[in-house]
Parts: sequence; structure tokens; C-alpha cells
Amino acid sequence: MSTFLQACVNGLLMGGFYSLMGMGQNVIFGVMKIVNFCHGEMLMVGMYLTWLLHQTFGLDPYLCVPIVAVIMFCLGAVIQHTLITPALGTKSFTNLLFLTVGLGLLLSNGALVLFGSEYRSISTSYSMTYINLGPVTMALPRLISFGVLLVVSVALFTFLKYTTVGKQIRAVSQNPVGAEVVGINTKRIYILTYGLGVALAGIAGALLTGFYTIFPTAGASFGFRALIVVVVGGLGSIPGAFFAGIFLGLLETMVALFISPSYSDLIVFVTFIVILVVRQLIVLRRK
Amino acid sequence: MLKVSGLQAGYGAVNILWDISFQVGDGEIVAILGSNGAGKTTMVRAVTGILRPSQGSVEFNGQELAKKNARYILDHGIVQVPEGRQLFTEMTVLENLEMGAFNKETKAHFRENLDKAYGWFPRLKERARQAAGTLSGGEQQMVAVARALIGMPKLLILDEPSLGLAPNIVDDILEVARTMARQDGLSVLLVEQDITKALACADRGYVIENGRIALEGTSAELQANEHVKKAYLGI
Repeated sequence: MSTFLQACVNGLLMGGFYSLMGMGQNVIFGVMKIVNFCHGEMLMVGMYLTWLLHQTFGLDPYLCVPIVAVIMFCLGAVIQHTLITPALGTKSFTNLLFLTVGLGLLLSNGALVLFGSEYRSISTSYSMTYINLGPVTMALPRLISFGVLLVVSVALFTFLKYTTVGKQIRAVSQNPVGAEVVGINTKRIYILTYGLGVALAGIAGALLTGFYTIFPTAGASFGFRALIVVVVGGLGSIPGAFFAGIFLGLLETMVALFISPSYSDLIVFVTFIVILVVRQLIVLRRK
Repeated sequence: MLKVSGLQAGYGAVNILWDISFQVGDGEIVAILGSNGAGKTTMVRAVTGILRPSQGSVEFNGQELAKKNARYILDHGIVQVPEGRQLFTEMTVLENLEMGAFNKETKAHFRENLDKAYGWFPRLKERARQAAGTLSGGEQQMVAVARALIGMPKLLILDEPSLGLAPNIVDDILEVARTMARQDGLSVLLVEQDITKALACADRGYVIENGRIALEGTSAELQANEHVKKAYLGI
């Protein structure tokens, strides 16, 4: 029983990261209808940025989170303005596919050139601190990370729901023609959206460094999982992505506990395929 | 007052509008008539800055607006109710109406304009918290008109308000436009395929054929015109 509870908690703590990644991907998809194939690499960039800030200024990784978020937002905004917006104009899905996949390759190989292939990590005074809650033990960095990402998720939801810019983002995602009619600058919204999505991936990266190793392809598995989260949680739905991320984290740890840790990737992707097939069947049945 | 002259516009290499000239005076209701594909919606897009015209001028109250962007033109008081309504279907009615207030001035007057809009269309008040996509077609058209009115237009462009709606609802919406033109001096540009309804409401009209103005006149003149009778009224 206690191992089961422990697995649940571990799954929840990890699932939060998949949620954050999925929500970032979903904001971008919702507005521009493009899949950001370099989303995982953006997480990796966030990790290295945190590592650099920690190495050079001795900053605590959690204090780096807002700085990383701002830098990543700017990076995303520049990429959107200089590369993605012009590519959107061609209305070619292939162009955008190659663009974002290519950016991902560029980033992970750039990191390889700059930082080498060594595994790096950040150790803090509390890295090895554990909290006991009844039968469950939690590493303090994981717990703090989860707390921060919950706050970020709620903030994102509130931003989209209640602020003028948030409403404009939703307006563009629901009806770009209508948005132009009411005078919303769609190009500006695209820049904001991509910056926001990339910043969310960067925040996830920064939060991971407290307990996760940093290497050039560290983002890949998170990037893939973000895609699963988006598809399972519903394209464009922010709450959907949040719960799908948690579900995915729980599923992984359950598989690791009851079957074998080495099967967790396999089972995750099989589940993904099953959900896709079942959903398609339901759609066909309705028709 | 709006004065459009020699307007040309199209998409890429395909030119749709060849030479469009017309005027709308203050408090006047002017109909732009034409069949499907005549270039009416392209004309609306070119006047409102969503499509950049390749040539010609759009002068509004002495200001040249051709080739300005959509937001700039909205700021100068030309607001459209687009063809097909173009609402934000998953947002509430109230949120849709909020989107109509695009600048400082319209935001500052949002409350009073909202009350006015609810006065014209009481049903929207009841449905304020409902997702716009769950409303009936007629109610959605009311939301689109109310959203435009919240933008405090000096010139209101109604693009195909009759599309897919029951005749009595179209009459209601045209009646609102008429009353606002008479009472508040609002200029209305009514772009319609339904020529009978449009001429019953408008003071004057222009007929677009193949991207050119083919005919113009008062509503009575156009109703009596042989070509209009034959080609559009089936008489």
C-alpha cells in the first residue's frame, strides 16, 4: 500500500511537468494551429540557462525561474517574428514542420557544441532533503517544483480567462477572421503566444534542474510527452492538457511499479495509440 | 461622410474589384447590391483595411484611409458586421461584446454602450453568460451587430445580414440600423444579396457587377429599373 501511495505521489510530481509542457504546446497550437516540434529543446535551453546562471552568479535554481522565463519569452518572440510568422504566410504545413524540427536539431546540437555531452547537475544545500508525510517520502526539490508549476498553471489559466490580452489570444485561436474584424493585431498575438509557450517550456526546464540531469537531449522525452498530452487532453484545451499531463505521469509510475520501469515508455506510447484509435472509432460511430 | 473612388483590390494576381466609387452621407443608409461573387465582400474588406486595396481612395470625414491598417480604420469609426458573423463561438456573449471595445475611448464607454446594446437586443442580456456558439443564428447576428455598436461606429457596414436568417429577424436588425441612422445620424452601408429587403430599408443604392459599379440611384429608381427588375427581382 505504501509503495502504491509513493508511486502515486511520484507520478503526480512528474506529471506536473508534462502538464506544463503540454499547456505551452497547446497555447501555441490553439492560436497558430502549428505543432511546435522544438518544444522539448526549449525545455533543454531553459535547463542550460539555469545551469549557467547558477554557475556564474551562484543563483539558486528556483530564483532563476523568473529570469529564465523572461529570457525564453524574448527568444520565442524573436523566433516567431523572424522565422515562424513568415513561414505561416506560405500556408504550408511542411515548411513549418521542417522549420520547428530543424530548430530543435539546431538547439540540441548547439548545446552539444557549447557544453559538450557531459551530464551536468545543480546541487544545492537542500538537494538531499527529504520530507516524510506518513508513508510517503518526497525529495524537497521535487515538491517545490511541483508547487511552483501549480502556481504557474493557475496563473496561465487566469491570464487567458480574465485579462484583455488573454481574451484576445483566445479570440484569435477561435476565429482569426473575427479577430481582425475587431481590430486585434494577430501578428502581435502570434509573437506573444509563441513567447509564452516557449517561456512555459523554459520554466519547466528551470524547475527540473533541482533534481534532474542536464544534457543536450534532455528535452526530447519531454517534447514527445507534450505531444501526447496535447492529443489526449484535447487540441487547444489548457485544463485538458493539465489533467492529461498528470494522468501521463501517474500512468508511467504505475507501469514502473506493477510491470517494469523499462516498459514505461513502451506502455505510454501504446496507451497513446489506443486512445487515438478509440477516439477515432467514437468519431466514426457518431457519424 | 464616406467617399470611395476608383477602388481596386484583389487577392494576389487575381483582381476582384476594378473600379468602385460610391458615397455615403451622414445619417444615410446606402445599399450595395449584387449577386454572389460580384465582389461585395471584397469591397467591404478593402474599405475596412483587412485587405489592402491596390489603387483608389477611401476618404472618411476628410481623412484618407486607403492602405491604412484595420485597427487605424476602426479607430476612425468605420466598423463592420462581417459576413457570417465571425463570432468567438466558445467565448461568452459578454466576452464577445468586450472584444468590440478595441481602443481607450470605446473601453471607457463600454458600460453605457453595453446597456444601449442590451436595449436594442434584450435577449442578449439574458444570454450574456452563454457561449456564443450555443445561440440561434438570429441571436448570433444580434451579437455581431451589438459587438459592432460597442465599437461606437460613425459608419456601420452590414455585410449580408440576411444570410441564413429568418426574415423577421432580418427586419428587426435592419430596423435597429434605420432607427440609429435617423436618431443618431449613424451612416449605414448595407451590403446585400436580398435586393427587395435592402431597397426597402435604404435611401440609395449601387449595383455591383463583376467588380464594377453597374448602376446607381435612389431606392425608388432602382426598384423601377428594368435591368434590376429582370436580373435581380425576377419580374
